[in-house]
Amino acid sequence: MKNREKIILILLPVLTALICIGIGRINIPLSEILNSVKGHLFGGVEFTDTIEMTLWKIRLPRVLLALLVGAGLSASGCTYQSLFSNPLATPDTLGVASGAGFGAALALLLGMEFMGVQLVSLLFGGIAVYLTMLTGKNKERRGMSSVVLAGIMIGSLFNALISMVKFCADTESELPEITYWLMGTLNSASYEALILGAPFILGGILILVLLRWRLNLLPLGDEEAMSMGVNLKVLRGVTIFCATAMTASCVSMCGQVGWVGLLVPHMCRMRFGSNHLALLPASVLTGSAFMVVVDTLARSMSASELPISILTAVIGAPFFILLMRKTESWQG
Amino acid sequence: MKLTVENGCFSYVKGQPILQNMNFSAQSGELLAILGPNGAGKTTLLRCMMGFLSWDSGKSTLDGKDMSRMTPKELWQHIAYVPQAKGTSSALLVSDMIMLGCTNRLGVFSTPGEKEKEQVKEIAEQLGITYLLNKKCNAISGGELQMVLIARALAASPEILILDEPESNLDFKNQLIVLDAMSRLAAEGMCCIFNTHYPTHALMRATKSLIVPKSGEAFFGNTAQIVTEENIERTFGVETIIGEVETSGNQYKSILPLRIARKTDKPQTAFPTTRAIAVITILFSDYGTGETINGLLHQYNHYIVGRMGMPYREGNTYIINITLDAPRQEIDTLFHRLSILPGVRAKVTFAD
Repeated sequence: MKNREKIILILLPVLTALICIGIGRINIPLSEILNSVKGHLFGGVEFTDTIEMTLWKIRLPRVLLALLVGAGLSASGCTYQSLFSNPLATPDTLGVASGAGFGAALALLLGMEFMGVQLVSLLFGGIAVYLTMLTGKNKERRGMSSVVLAGIMIGSLFNALISMVKFCADTESELPEITYWLMGTLNSASYEALILGAPFILGGILILVLLRWRLNLLPLGDEEAMSMGVNLKVLRGVTIFCATAMTASCVSMCGQVGWVGLLVPHMCRMRFGSNHLALLPASVLTGSAFMVVVDTLARSMSASELPISILTAVIGAPFFILLMRKTESWQG
Repeated sequence: MKLTVENGCFSYVKGQPILQNMNFSAQSGELLAILGPNGAGKTTLLRCMMGFLSWDSGKSTLDGKDMSRMTPKELWQHIAYVPQAKGTSSALLVSDMIMLGCTNRLGVFSTPGEKEKEQVKEIAEQLGITYLLNKKCNAISGGELQMVLIARALAASPEILILDEPESNLDFKNQLIVLDAMSRLAAEGMCCIFNTHYPTHALMRATKSLIVPKSGEAFFGNTAQIVTEENIERTFGVETIIGEVETSGNQYKSILPLRIARKTDKPQTAFPTTRAIAVITILFSDYGTGETINGLLHQYNHYIVGRMGMPYREGNTYIINITLDAPRQEIDTLFHRLSILPGVRAKVTFAD
């Protein structure tokens, strides 16, 4: 990767966040945002209350959450693709998102606190990925479709269980809440939620980024990877855990946000190649910027907020098809 | 460094042993060919040898140290594995793919630096694949990929290189490129162990050979004694003749398959131990090769009755002439080991 590209990639989420934080029902020009930041850092500037309130209490946590969720989903998508050496392996297609969603929905139904929701979600996300791996295993390890088919089966199993949870939920209060949350929304953004959710995602990203050279071994055959002197079981275990924990945490905070984990890493593969030294950081940075943009559209396009899944799918699907047709299909 | 397999036995299903009492060894500077018909368990043998599968009984050792007791990091510092290049979906750049071989030397959280980049360049140059470095692995040919995988294995700076059918699926030229690379590495002191379907490749390249039959005892020893018409018929079930082709500088042996053998249980005939007198003429141009040749001749000192060696500097040629009085098979072995050295021209003339 060239230095210029590095700088652009690092600035991308920062600039996107700065611009998007000003967009919404109340438009705040960039100059005022910068003023306000300066004021908070060095003091001595007077602000109007509404702008203060909107900027720091409502928009900032939401933009931070978007950055975090985008980075987490992209990093886990990128990791799953390499783990299964499969272009279609993502949190959604492997059933992890559904499993984590079921766990979170169940925990919500049982009235658990947010930390509990995350842990139950992680547990079921883990069970889902394990089941998918177990079902998708066949003699030819490289049978690409079998993992995805298994993922679809496991995903629909957990979706059925989610329906079960919905069925059991109180139609007046719990059901709308669960349904709306599942469609994906960053509405819940608050500093409290961020403090609880961020460690999982940031921790996962940190470990994966540190391991990024070794992630290149994952798409190789088992014996090939082992012959590099690596303890493959530990490496696989750690990366699966990180990817699943990030997915579970994202799902607990803002429901099922599809497509990001598939779209962003794929775009980065096409631009930066398959070496995780560049690919993983690029996915993390691009993913966070992408999510901020999509969330800003979701909350400002119409009078009422759109569920974010609808937007990611509407933007993602055609864009993805375009990319697929333009370049060779799979870059392992 | 010496890799030894002692009494190795293995079966996938209990009671149906695939490998029985495997005993063989290979050390630095040797090229060991593992031959056998399809389904005899050649690949299984490699996998057991490297510890991907564990022996039911017996063990593999490195300089006497049990390999199953070594940590992966320790083990893979010494040996490197070159899988068969079956085409890959990996879109890694060739330079990155080769650099993966350095992973064992890096800390868990570190990434390769300038030193590794330099090393990758050196290895690529050594193998003549510099032109591939900036291509993607899924956009190069099978033969090129095989060379890349060899380069990746070399990046780990191993002492023992284990290759799984490195030359199958390749065309004539690429077979030669791969085999030449192996011969050169062995001549430089590497221990190379490779699986092959082609007895001719063993005959033309390997110091030692191991024939793994579908059932019964395996044959192991110096190639000249192992790759014989008789052993091939017994294990492959094919009648062959080993013919000799003479060029201006060398005598080559080649195996010509004649027909599928009828089932006979011929008793194994012993090698003739008759003594013979022979003159071996050796020509080479690289001074380093001379040391290897002298080392080899030293082992046969007690059979050598006459010896003449001279450097002819103007012609950039070294000439060695030796006269031997030895059992026929010893002469065959010595001649074979001389003739497989890269850059050496050798001919033998028997006095009988």
